[in-house]
Amino acid sequence: MAELYAVRNLRLCTKDCLCLYVCPTGATDTEDSIIDRNKCVGCGACANACPSAAISMVPKVMPPQQPKEERVAEALRSLIRSKTQAENLAAQLPGALAAAAARSSRLMAEDLCRESGYMLPQSEEARVFLERLRTYPGIPLEVVEGLLNTLPFPEKRDRK
Amino acid sequence: MKQMVCSVCSYTYDESKGIPEAGIAPGTRWEDLPEGWRCPWCGASKDMFREKAEAPAPAPEPPQMPAQEPGGEWQLSALELSVICSNLARGCEKQYLPEQEKGFRELAEFFRARSVPAPDAGTQALLQLVERDLSSGYPYAHTAAGEAADRGALRALTWSEKVTRMLQNLLSRYEKEGEAMLEHTGVYVCSVCGFVYVGDAPPSICPVCKVPGWKFEQAGKGA
Repeated sequence: MAELYAVRNLRLCTKDCLCLYVCPTGATDTEDSIIDRNKCVGCGACANACPSAAISMVPKVMPPQQPKEERVAEALRSLIRSKTQAENLAAQLPGALAAAAARSSRLMAEDLCRESGYMLPQSEEARVFLERLRTYPGIPLEVVEGLLNTLPFPEKRDRK
Repeated sequence: MKQMVCSVCSYTYDESKGIPEAGIAPGTRWEDLPEGWRCPWCGASKDMFREKAEAPAPAPEPPQMPAQEPGGEWQLSALELSVICSNLARGCEKQYLPEQEKGFRELAEFFRARSVPAPDAGTQALLQLVERDLSSGYPYAHTAAGEAADRGALRALTWSEKVTRMLQNLLSRYEKEGEAMLEHTGVYVCSVCGFVYVGDAPPSICPVCKVPGWKFEQAGKGA
C-alpha cells in the first residue's frame, strides 16, 4: 500500500470538527485549516469520520502518468498552439467578451496540455521539462531548482 | 414533429413538447421560434442546433492536421511554455502544494511576459483561428484519439470543441451586434472547461462539463 496523507477541501468542509476528535497527532487542527502534512501519519481516521466527505487521502508518491501515443499528443499540441494564438489575439482586444475568450483559450489549452503528457506535476515528463528549462535564456533558475528539489518525483525516490 | 439538438450542450428542443414554462406551447414548430431565441441551457443561437434524426455528415476525406509554423529553437512558443507551467500550477493547487503552485505560476508569468503580441489583432482574426480549429484541428485530433482509444484525450477534445463552438457563436454575434450585445449583462467563464456564458448570472451548472455554477468567474471585471 502506498503511503498516504490527508487533504481537506475547504469548500466542502462544514466544520463539524470530527476530524479534530479522531486525529491521533493533531494534524487536522491548524489555524489555516490546511492539514499539517508533517504531522499527518496517513491513518485515514479523519477522512472516515468526516460527515461532509471533505477530506481525501492522497498517496505521497503518485503512479506514473498514462502513456500517450505520439500521434495523439501531436494532434493535441497543434490545437494547444492554436489556443495560445487565440489567447494572444484576444488579450489585445478590449471588452469583456475578449477577456473571456482569452481566459477560455488558456483554460482549453491547459486541459489539452494535461492530456498531451503533462497531467501530473510530479511526473517524469514534468521533471524532464523542468530540467530542460534550466537552459532557457533569462529563466529564474532558483524557481526551477526549487521545483526540481521539492516535487516528489517517483523515479527520483526509487533511485534512493 | 422533430427534435433539434444543441451542438454546444446537447439540449434538445422537442416540437411536440414545446417549452410551456417559457410560454412556448406544445406543437410549436422549430421554424416558428423567434430568430433571437437562445438555448435555455447554454445560450447558443438557433443556428447552432441540428436535427436529431440527421446522421452526422460523413467526412469526405480523412481530416488533416492544420499546418502550423515551426515554434523555433524550443519547438514551443513562449505562450505554449506558459500553458504547460500554468497547467502544472493547477495540478499543484489541486493537490494542496501551494509552494510548488507558486513556483509554476512564476514560470508561467515569466513565459507570458516573453510572448510577442500578434500583429493583426481583431475579432475577425480571432474568429478565423476558432473556425480553423473547428474545421480541421478537432476533426483530426478526434480521429487520432479515437483510433488510439484514448478516452482521456477524447474527453478533453469533446469539452473544448463545444467551448470553441460557443466562442464562435458569441464572436460572430459580437461582429454583428457590437458592444450592444453585452450591455446590461455579464460574461462568465467556467474555470474548469472554459465555457463562456453571456447572461445576468452564471448557469447553475456548466452546460459543457457539468460543474456547479460557483466554478464560473466573471470576465472583464475592472477592465
